[in-house]
Amino acid sequence: MDKSKIVDELAAIVGREWVISDADELIVYECDGMTYLDKAVPDVVVLPDTTEQVAAVVKVCDREGLAVVPRGAGTGLSGGALPLKGGVMIGLNRMNRILEIDLPNQRAVVEPGLVNIALTQAVRDHGYFFAPDPASQTASSIGGNVAENAGGPHCLKYGATTMHILGLELVLSSGEIVQVGGKTLDVPGYDLTGLFVGSEGTFGICTKVIVRLVRQPEAVQTLLASFRGIEEASEVVSTIIAAGIIPSALELMDRHIIRALEEWLHIGYHEGAGAVLLIELDGPAAEIAAQARGIEGICRTQGVLDLRNAKDDQERALLWKGRKGAAAAVGRITHEYYLQDGVVPRTKLPYVLREIEAIGRRYDFLIANVFHAGDGNLHPLICFDSRREGELQRAIAAGAEIMKLCLSVGGSITGEHGIGMEKIDFMPLMYSPDDLDAMRKVRNAFDRTQRCNPGKLLPTSKSCVETSVAYRPHRIEREGLAQRY
Amino acid sequence: MTPDLLAARLAGIVGQEHVLAQERCAQYAVDGKAPTAAVFPATVEEISKVMRLASSERLSVVPWGSGTKISFGGIPERVDLLVGLARFNRVIEHEPADLTVTIQGGALLREVQAYLGQRGQFLPLDPPLAARATIGGILATNASGPRRLLYGAARDLLIGLRVVHADGTATRGGAKVVKNVSGYDMPKLYIGSLGTLGIIVEATFRIYPLPAVERTWVASFPDGEGASSAVAEMLAAPIVPSSLELLSSPAAQSVARLAGLSLPQGHVALASSVGSVAEAVDAQLGQIKRISERNGAGGGFLLEGDAQERFRTAISEFMPGERNGRVGAVLKASVVISKVLEAVRRGEEIARAVGLQSFAICEAGSGIVRLHWTNNAGEPGVAVEVMAKAIEALRDSIVREGGNLVVMSAPPALKAAVDVWGPVGKALPLMQELKQQFDPHRILNPGRFVGGI
Ligand SMILES: Cc1cc2nc3c(=O)[nH]c(=O)nc-3n(C[C@H](O)[C@H](O)[C@H](O)COP(=O)(O)OP(=O)(O)OC[C@H]3O[C@@H](n4cnc5c(N)ncnc54)[C@H](O)[C@@H]3O)c2cc1C
Repeated sequence: MDKSKIVDELAAIVGREWVISDADELIVYECDGMTYLDKAVPDVVVLPDTTEQVAAVVKVCDREGLAVVPRGAGTGLSGGALPLKGGVMIGLNRMNRILEIDLPNQRAVVEPGLVNIALTQAVRDHGYFFAPDPASQTASSIGGNVAENAGGPHCLKYGATTMHILGLELVLSSGEIVQVGGKTLDVPGYDLTGLFVGSEGTFGICTKVIVRLVRQPEAVQTLLASFRGIEEASEVVSTIIAAGIIPSALELMDRHIIRALEEWLHIGYHEGAGAVLLIELDGPAAEIAAQARGIEGICRTQGVLDLRNAKDDQERALLWKGRKGAAAAVGRITHEYYLQDGVVPRTKLPYVLREIEAIGRRYDFLIANVFHAGDGNLHPLICFDSRREGELQRAIAAGAEIMKLCLSVGGSITGEHGIGMEKIDFMPLMYSPDDLDAMRKVRNAFDRTQRCNPGKLLPTSKSCVETSVAYRPHRIEREGLAQRY
Repeated sequence: MTPDLLAARLAGIVGQEHVLAQERCAQYAVDGKAPTAAVFPATVEEISKVMRLASSERLSVVPWGSGTKISFGGIPERVDLLVGLARFNRVIEHEPADLTVTIQGGALLREVQAYLGQRGQFLPLDPPLAARATIGGILATNASGPRRLLYGAARDLLIGLRVVHADGTATRGGAKVVKNVSGYDMPKLYIGSLGTLGIIVEATFRIYPLPAVERTWVASFPDGEGASSAVAEMLAAPIVPSSLELLSSPAAQSVARLAGLSLPQGHVALASSVGSVAEAVDAQLGQIKRISERNGAGGGFLLEGDAQERFRTAISEFMPGERNGRVGAVLKASVVISKVLEAVRRGEEIARAVGLQSFAICEAGSGIVRLHWTNNAGEPGVAVEVMAKAIEALRDSIVREGGNLVVMSAPPALKAAVDVWGPVGKALPLMQELKQQFDPHRILNPGRFVGGI
């Protein structure tokens, strides 16, 4: 292809200032939130402003046989926005308008580049919110949330992004614009909206999103329960769920996190605490009062050291500040960390956490745990130092063991961060070749050309499970800087 | 293949006693088309073999749960083989403390609820005709009911499934954990697909604890406006009803009669349920009553226990047409919440103009309007063409407002005269492509889905 001609053509569609093709400037787009594996630079980045521009750009790509890689805020943690085969990256940041807010019908229509938190900010004073609350919500885009089916602490009660998406406008790989779903429920036909959510950019680009807005609860109560160790805490988690209490959030932090946070933010955790549970209840005041009593009873009979009840919004904010700062706090005590994301049945948490600790010992890594305990969604942070030879590879190997552990108890290899390129080789461990073929068929139906975000989510061949588990060589291996062992 | 040979081949797979041939399967007719054979496999392997046979012989297949919604969808092009799931009726795995359950596709919802109920839990699906519906059938038709307001519908509850495809391949999608984004969200593909992509043999759901207390306040309003503005106020208030059912006055009278209540003639009814601990239920019902009264409610009934159950059953089993031996049509309109009353009114006007009566049962907080159109007691039925036109007219007005209208149930003659699904717009080629990918020979329920899929 003649790159400069294509650049000119794209510039004619979106305007010269919204096309990036300089090698220096393209570097910004070489990776997303997953920084430790491969990097890849697109040939061109285009920043369109309208659906029609997106469609026109995609048509050029279609004609030229170029890969199309959508990108929201680039906070994805599985390498979803890496342009592995080059091509044209379509950045959706300029398409960040709120097109409609319809409170009586509990709906909003937004563009995909809108930052998650901005929607809640726009409706907060009217008593509503947009429920999906990934920790990245001040940065990540709603389009990215759709593509990843993002979760967050409160999806224990409110469900992941998919439950809040009712309709989409899509630009398919042919450049055709299609509406799926709508403001109403149960639009006839296959649930294309539901299929698109979580498709990680491999079905096309979403250019409009119809979302559900949720009424704010009458009351909120936030508790912090301290336990001697992670086992006690995780047993309390399953007892709470088994008792039929579904908090709006139920988060667990282990002793490494507590120590790191205490040194940094001085939250004031109980001295003997080897694990804390952050428990939030929301709903009608009388209901959460009863739930709080139930939880207190459970904690007391299961050896709670201390049960703190946030008196006011300020104390609630402090307790959440700890939770939200957890990963950053770990960042202060280690050179870097590899954040894993897996899910296990809630009853298996005590066993799985013990095993993760054992993996840490085997690999000689500190593994800190801060996670969405209420839905069994683990986030082990494997602390390592890539300056030491082989550590990155060992960290990745330890991560692989954790994924296998999750699968061995009937869980999943990712609860919210997606497959992207990071976990593509692990798909055959979770799904049979036929299961994966069924997914391929869906992919083919949406994008026969396979040019939408190529190399993501689905392993390309029915490769043998054992060999595919091994990670592809990392950049530093290819460059001969490090060896795997 | 001759019918005898087909029966013999099927018997070879599942055993003689689980095959019905020719006239013995007349009861399994779909829109008057009876299958040549009906087969009742017991294992996934058996279903796979049956499907491989069907596939190689290009036999069209109707998956069959219990038949409660078999009149849903377009008239099938062909009906050769019925695959019944009656023997797929077990709960496979239930870990109460994980709040998940895995059930076979042919299990009766009623039996699943009884099983879970003993452990204080339930699957919050309450579709029409819930008493006889099977899990697979509920999923394939995306059937939902009043409690969807709080708990969501199948798409919000199904987390994993196992499906046998047209070529006999059995696959799993999703997982048994409540949170999972590994690969495409395959369970979504089959929900509401009406058996056109595969046979659902197993499903895993997130389930919920039964609320400690559940009560329903049935308020009667002299007019729809009052009830409708009460709904709007309730939705804007920080209360969490599990259902808000709006019944038009004829529907309210029928349901009240079945439930043993007496409502003033000509009044519409609004039934609001709340489930929680007793204090929270009472506090919220207090607010609901105040909102109702402020909007002109003329009184009401507090239901719980058996009385509440009777009321729910009356809604779930609602079938006014059967009273005088003539079933009209059941329509389901989906509209934005604020347009529910308008849809009810349009339905009444258009029905009245052609001499039909319209009974509306609405999930008012979800924008679902179920209309039962039937002839007036004692009067002759309305010509099929007239009824088809009326349905199209109603659909037009609803589609104009951004909604949709589907014919849920109608006699074959009427189905032949009207598109039961309505338009699906530019998304149709994508849907056709999905069908092509999964069932290239179109053997699964051909012709019954949108756009003739
Ligand atoms: C500090 C931090 C905390 C995080 N916390 C959470 C968390 O709590 N929960 C959680 O789920 N995730 C979390 N994440 C991950 C990430 O924020 C989410 O996956 C988020 O949804 C990605 O949004 P984005 O706009 O950054 O998307 P990007 O990273 O830009 O893209 C992600 C994927 O979506 C595709 N995509 C983007 N926009 C579109 C579009 N319009 N149409 C089609 N495809 C598109 C891309 O091609 C890519 O495959 C966190 C990340 C960070 C860095």
